[in-house]
Amino acid sequence: MEKHMAVCPYCGTGCKLNLLVEGGKVVGAEPLNGVTNEGELCLKGYFGYDFINDTKILTPRLRNPMLRRSRDAAFEAVSWDEAIQYAAKKLGEIKAKYGPDSIMTTGSSRGTGNETNYVMQKFTRAVLGTNNVDNCARVCHGPSVAGLQVTLGNGAMSNSIPEIENTKCVLVFGYNVADSHPVIAKRIIRAKERGAKIIVCDPRKIETARLADLWLPLNNGSNMALVNAFANILINEGLYDKEYVANHTEGFDEYRKIVEKYTPEYAEAITGLPADDIREAMRIYAAAPSATILWGMGVTQWGQGVDVVKGLSGLALLTGNLGRPNVGVGPVRGQNNVQGSCDMGVLPTEFPGYQKVTDPEIRDKFAKAWGVPSLPGEIGYRLTDVPHLAETGKLKAMYVMGEDPAQTEPDLTQVRKGFEAMEFVIVQDIFMTKTAMFADLILPATSWGEHEGVFSAADRSFQRFTKAVDAKGDVKHDWEIISLLATAMGYPMHYNNTKEIWDELRGLCPIFYGATYEKMEGLGAVPWPCRDLDSPGSKYLYEGNVFQRPGGKGLLFATEWRPPQDKLNDEFPLILCTVREVGHYSCRSMTGNCAALQTLADEPGYVTINPKDAKALGIRDQELVWVSSRRGKVISRASVTDRTNKGAVYMTYQWWIGACNELTIHAVDPIAKTPEYKYAAVRVEAIADQVWAENYVQQEYAKLKGGLSKAVTGAAKKAPAYA
Amino acid sequence: MNRFVTANPSKCIGCRTCEVACALAHSKGAGVEGLAPDSFKPRIRMVKTADVSTAVMCHHCEDAPCVNSCPNNAIVYRQHSVQVEQERCLGCKNCVLACPFGVMDVVTVPAVRQFAGMTLSLGVKAQAHKCDLCVDRESGPACVSVCPTSALTLMDRDAMDETLRRRRERAAQEAAEVAA
Repeated sequence: MEKHMAVCPYCGTGCKLNLLVEGGKVVGAEPLNGVTNEGELCLKGYFGYDFINDTKILTPRLRNPMLRRSRDAAFEAVSWDEAIQYAAKKLGEIKAKYGPDSIMTTGSSRGTGNETNYVMQKFTRAVLGTNNVDNCARVCHGPSVAGLQVTLGNGAMSNSIPEIENTKCVLVFGYNVADSHPVIAKRIIRAKERGAKIIVCDPRKIETARLADLWLPLNNGSNMALVNAFANILINEGLYDKEYVANHTEGFDEYRKIVEKYTPEYAEAITGLPADDIREAMRIYAAAPSATILWGMGVTQWGQGVDVVKGLSGLALLTGNLGRPNVGVGPVRGQNNVQGSCDMGVLPTEFPGYQKVTDPEIRDKFAKAWGVPSLPGEIGYRLTDVPHLAETGKLKAMYVMGEDPAQTEPDLTQVRKGFEAMEFVIVQDIFMTKTAMFADLILPATSWGEHEGVFSAADRSFQRFTKAVDAKGDVKHDWEIISLLATAMGYPMHYNNTKEIWDELRGLCPIFYGATYEKMEGLGAVPWPCRDLDSPGSKYLYEGNVFQRPGGKGLLFATEWRPPQDKLNDEFPLILCTVREVGHYSCRSMTGNCAALQTLADEPGYVTINPKDAKALGIRDQELVWVSSRRGKVISRASVTDRTNKGAVYMTYQWWIGACNELTIHAVDPIAKTPEYKYAAVRVEAIADQVWAENYVQQEYAKLKGGLSKAVTGAAKKAPAYA
Repeated sequence: MNRFVTANPSKCIGCRTCEVACALAHSKGAGVEGLAPDSFKPRIRMVKTADVSTAVMCHHCEDAPCVNSCPNNAIVYRQHSVQVEQERCLGCKNCVLACPFGVMDVVTVPAVRQFAGMTLSLGVKAQAHKCDLCVDRESGPACVSVCPTSALTLMDRDAMDETLRRRRERAAQEAAEVAA
């Protein structure tokens, strides 16, 4: 048996593991003693590898480039040469006719790695000539990056994952760590065992709430009011660190004025929390000698995400919980390499290494390095703008790599209309996805396990992963495909391996410069910033309480609470909040093809509902139900549980039949453009004929899987002479 | 003392990694790709209520109701544990009803016989289905080795003694504090 070192492709914990290979097939995974996982793996880490082997449980791996010459035609397998020439010609025509800003690309925050993301944004900027490149941080921790960059100067976790277990207080805000990052959950459990106080702010009784010293089940959509009340208490009760605030922050007077009215009693009316519980939370937080705030999508997937992120960083600034070990602010990244795709500048605002596209000197540096006369200085489009831009004719072509927006974006009806309105869609993926069904050209890439590279863990640690098996079929590495396309469009691009790409990019990014492949050999992890070749990197940021802002001080920021945007009424009386579950990941194209994970949970997935709401609707546990919003209607299975608060229902976003994003609203944060996935007004209805409903699910599921499978097998059968 | 696997609800995150590891450890080498919903029968089960998440499994009782209730002596004490001699199991379900923890089940598996190179069906065979502590697995119970939060531990005489010693010390400490 062979063993090949990898970094887990699920979640941002960055667990190191060995893939076990027999006869060219991955047959197992075993944990390694990596910096962040220390010999542990979770459900997905242990049992989430068999998708590589093309199990066809949900959808088949892509084996050939596939082209559809008109939208009503079936896909046909074509040669790489034809695929690349076709793509180059179409993109060239669209660019010439409508301008470079009529084309958009995506990076991938998943298995492809940092080098590919670097190459994709280079292609977008240097070859297409636009900053229209984005990644799914937009629908996830985009507000954390935008918010923290303003208040502290750096959008990432301030401290490292291992430090969590040494903090004396963990404030968990809108973050279901047990389902999102099980191996980080262990750090919190260990912190508790070592005497840390745990405070959990979440409307649901999540696993962490069970072990919390104080659980604040706030009303859905009241985050800003609670965070302001926290600041109010810290100031009014004199719990804040006056010296720290005086020396290391700015904006205190304005901040104080805004939070003045958010007394615990005032917040009680908005949050539904007893004023004394809100006080107690801040007394615990302020009393701890070291305290860490961790948050997730419960903070960011709101129309007011950026503001709340800024508010949370304010609590850390007020109490001096930054700039040293075992403290800080932690937006814990969900997808395995969403930190990396941001690091690599797959963002419409930034070059790799968080260098602004609006800065002419930075643009000149990259233009010179990339051998082009100039680079675009206008900020590009965001991923969530795409449906609207396509429908209004501003966006004509899209090159989607390793993402499935037709599953993961809000209000899927709009997303589909957007794709249909575009003239040319390229999807580069490892699986036939719902998004790939809208493509004109499908480019098949190698999977995690079939290539090597570097991922960034949630705590900024760069770690290398290696190849375990050879890819089957006529597929290529993502970065090779992009290079071929660039070359065909008149910009010669060639790399022999990922190290060449890595060395090019670290040469252009001062904060990554010292993170060499050699340092990341084996179990090595290098947290950026790592500016020098002899530096081990930075476990925590803001050493000496110097913030990466002009003047070096942290900004205290508060603003008024805004209510969520969708409106409840008699027709749609319940709040739908979309969440995650431990056994499935992202759009589910990977975990849906893993036998163990599909065995534990399959379509149509669950809508969890409080027993009181269920009883009023005549719904029993495990029955199929309809869930509808102003935007759509889907079938799901009721899970009646006291852990779900009354008045709200929760669905996980990876189901293809019970697809909650048919229901979600396209209402976004004004700054980060992140959608309000956490609040859609819905109605849940019982279905009288359960036998019919069970059959309906099976039929719809079979139809969906059949369609995806046929798209691939049909194209292979029609394979032309080259094959 | 019989050994047993114990679960700590204050560490459990309800992830069911133990269930998959259990099913795989008993899959006779079929690997993950052999798993399917209909045949998925782990001997450890994660239970989630409003307030508790934890795994439940056989306690390997010293005076086991399942052993006492079996009319065919199919359940025996062996290797410091309670084990089922499957060839003797009738599938009568006495043990299922006798177990106060709800961790004994009776399942049926296809029974086959090889004859002259052919596989002949013999209908079904009943099996009393419960935790066997992975007695044939070199590295011990599979569930314990995968639990990401170390909520599961194998309790043997030494581990039990250590737990008791710590509890007694704590009790003594608390008694001293009360006296003070």
